[in-house]
Amino acid sequence: MAESLAKHGIYFDELNKIRVVETEVSQQTNELKEECKDFVEKISEFQKIADGFILMVDTLGKEVEKEKMKAIGARNLLKSVSKQREAEQQQLQALIFEKTTELERLGVQLQSLHKTEMEQQELIEQLVLHR
Amino acid sequence: MRFKTSMSKEPKHTELVGCVGWCNTEEVYTCGDDHILFKWNLVTNETLKVTDLPSDLYPTDLHWFPRAHGKKQGLDLLLITAADGKYHLINKNGRFEKTVEAHKGAILSGRWSYDGAGLLTAGEDGQVKIWSRSGMLRSTILQSDTPVYSATWGPDSNQVLHTLGKMLVIKPLTPNSKVNKWKAHDGIILKVAWNPSNNLIVSGGEDCRYKVWDTYGRQLYGSHPHDYPITALAWSPMGDLFAMGSYNTLRLCDKTGWSYSLEKPNTGSVFNIAWSSDGTQVAGACGNGHIIFAHIIERRLEWNDYEAIVTGRKSISVRNVSNEAREKLEFPDRVIKLALQYGHLVVVTPTQCHIYSTSNWNTPVIFELREGSVCMLQLAARHFLLVEKTTAGLYSYEGRLLCSPRWQAMQPDTLNESSVSISPDTIAVRDQVDDKVVLLFEVGTARSLSDLPPLNHSLGVIDVALSQAGTAAERQLTVLDRNRDLYLSTVRGSSSRKLRKLGSMIQSLCWNSDTNMLAAVQDMNLTVWYYPNVLYVDKRLLKKTLLIKDASEYGKNPMIVSFVGNHIGIRRVDGSLVNSAISPFQAVLHGYTASNHWDDALRLCRIVKDTALWACLAAMATHAKNLATAEEAYAAIDENDKVEYIQYIKKVPMRHAQAAEMALLGGNIQDAESMLLQNGRIFHAIMTHIQLHNWQRALELAVKHKTHVDTVLLFRKKYLETFEKVETNEKFLQFKNEVILDEEKINAKIQNEYEKENAVP
Repeated sequence: MAESLAKHGIYFDELNKIRVVETEVSQQTNELKEECKDFVEKISEFQKIADGFILMVDTLGKEVEKEKMKAIGARNLLKSVSKQREAEQQQLQALIFEKTTELERLGVQLQSLHKTEMEQQELIEQLVLHR
Repeated sequence: MRFKTSMSKEPKHTELVGCVGWCNTEEVYTCGDDHILFKWNLVTNETLKVTDLPSDLYPTDLHWFPRAHGKKQGLDLLLITAADGKYHLINKNGRFEKTVEAHKGAILSGRWSYDGAGLLTAGEDGQVKIWSRSGMLRSTILQSDTPVYSATWGPDSNQVLHTLGKMLVIKPLTPNSKVNKWKAHDGIILKVAWNPSNNLIVSGGEDCRYKVWDTYGRQLYGSHPHDYPITALAWSPMGDLFAMGSYNTLRLCDKTGWSYSLEKPNTGSVFNIAWSSDGTQVAGACGNGHIIFAHIIERRLEWNDYEAIVTGRKSISVRNVSNEAREKLEFPDRVIKLALQYGHLVVVTPTQCHIYSTSNWNTPVIFELREGSVCMLQLAARHFLLVEKTTAGLYSYEGRLLCSPRWQAMQPDTLNESSVSISPDTIAVRDQVDDKVVLLFEVGTARSLSDLPPLNHSLGVIDVALSQAGTAAERQLTVLDRNRDLYLSTVRGSSSRKLRKLGSMIQSLCWNSDTNMLAAVQDMNLTVWYYPNVLYVDKRLLKKTLLIKDASEYGKNPMIVSFVGNHIGIRRVDGSLVNSAISPFQAVLHGYTASNHWDDALRLCRIVKDTALWACLAAMATHAKNLATAEEAYAAIDENDKVEYIQYIKKVPMRHAQAAEMALLGGNIQDAESMLLQNGRIFHAIMTHIQLHNWQRALELAVKHKTHVDTVLLFRKKYLETFEKVETNEKFLQFKNEVILDEEKINAKIQNEYEKENAVP
């Protein structure tokens, strides 16, 4: 009887309950279902982990980018500071040059005054000697 | 001397500022690429926005209508030129009066003429145009393919100086006159300025140098190269200083080119500099939107033991170097001018004049100024000259106005040290219309000022100077003309004024402040005339009364700045002040002779044994008609002929004849003749001329006075016979036929005359 029923696609399982699908198949189907569920769970977990990872990498990237900009800025600043120093040096050089020429001028004046003093001293000596 | 600069913390202009101009001594107008016209008040430190300019107006230059001539109110016009080729006339409140389309491309420079009659514009299109005050095109004086970066008017508003690439061009406005053009720089010239007072030109450009020129295109100074192109140059109104601007640079320079000081403010390029009319402050328009203000401090003067330094806007410190006594003088207002000479310090502020005596620093004499804008200050022994914008006044050191010299077409604001000279009794001024004429005024006792006849010279005069010592009768004037020839002239005197050449190639000169000695830089020498009057006494002694020192140690173009006592102060072209001492005995000799101490003078000369001293004494004694001294002095310098002549003069019995002979001794034939004629000594005068072989004049006198014509003819005949010559003089030929010569009779007549002469006491 069971065979005649099987022809019509009706089966009995070991608990003698009527089934439309073969016992084995249904069992396998159930197993597959379980496995699929497991798989889905694992995949979603993986996705979560991957997402976290991506997020982490992203923030890291951003941070790296920021640091990179900072480094470039610092480098530029360094460059500009040296340039600024150069300009300052140039200015100071100009001022020093100015002072040097002024010193030269005063030196010349001093020299001429010394000369005058010497001449006058000579004259005084001459006058004293001739007395 | 240096600039003290100040800037606001934050720039008022948000963009580059290129234009700056002084409205009066307190207000500055500026505008820049942010299209705002600002007014800066320096007293209240306020900055007001006058108006917003249209957003398409990018100003390139700004110039106020010249005030000295804009006497009519409402003529306060601001000329603003723009990058779109238009220029605008704007009034004080920012209202546009006129807009004229002038050039294709930007106008780079716009200037009012000094007389206010017109204005010039120079543009990128290589054109320079002259416009009337109402904005009508008068003429286009240049058409070229090179942009004209800068242009300015000549002193008489009748010439225009403009740049053309690396060239400078002076173009007279009168038709068919010669254009003066020269290559001035190795780079494009960006700025040029011409001072009306000293007639000097300063230019600067992309070769990072500035150079000073005279109007003939002769370079007087060239600076060392700077780090950046020169973008701004401006003369102070009196022409004694100029300011230079470049990137982060502001420099104060003397008119001869050397630099007083350098400032390195954080301004960016200084695009324009303007001086206030009193010449004490400048304002600069800076590339970073700032306006930099600077005033001059540490102006330093010295006289004898005293040294005065302007330490701040309103304070002066005075030091006596011999005893280190210091005084600090404070003023209620800015110090504009000061002078220290002849025992007095005169300080001028915008409204007052303070007079200090070196013997009393505590109680100055203070008086209010008449106008309040002093252009010039010159001191003499007993009084000083104060020149204001429209008047000149001679004040005593007690602060009393003695007199106000006035002359035709007087323009006091353009007077300077070389065009005016004062002495204790005379004022000399170069005429401001005709520079060949020197006007002379006599300073009387009680507020009187009488005109002396003006002195006419054949050439343009560039410098006048009066001697400072001695009496009014001995006052002498030196005149330096365009050929740099120096002439000496007496100021007073009964006979016509005598203008005698003293020297040539004179670069600068100075009278001694205590004695009548004159020092000058002549070619490559420093020359001192110990007794310039020798020209009138005995010309041939001139060379012996000179001191000539080699001036090569002072370099090219040195200037004499002072001659006090026996010290000459010389300014080298690099700005250093060199002291040169001369023998002190000359001054002592001058003192003795001035007070008629001839014995002391002789003793001094005997001790010193100096030819120049003896020669001076000889000339002084001859001038004073002191025969004994003159004889000894001439003997000492081996002028035997003179000694003999003096001995002959001593024997001449009559005083006026003696005086005439003295004049002859000095070679002043005219004086001798007039002296003799005045005293009725016609025969003597005729004989003098005969002895000098001055036949023409002898005959003239004889014919005029109808006496001794035959005598003259006889002597002439004898003379011709001796030299075996034939008579060629027409006059003598004429009289030869008319007069019969009887030698015996003539000899008797001469004898008779001599006897008569000896008989008269």
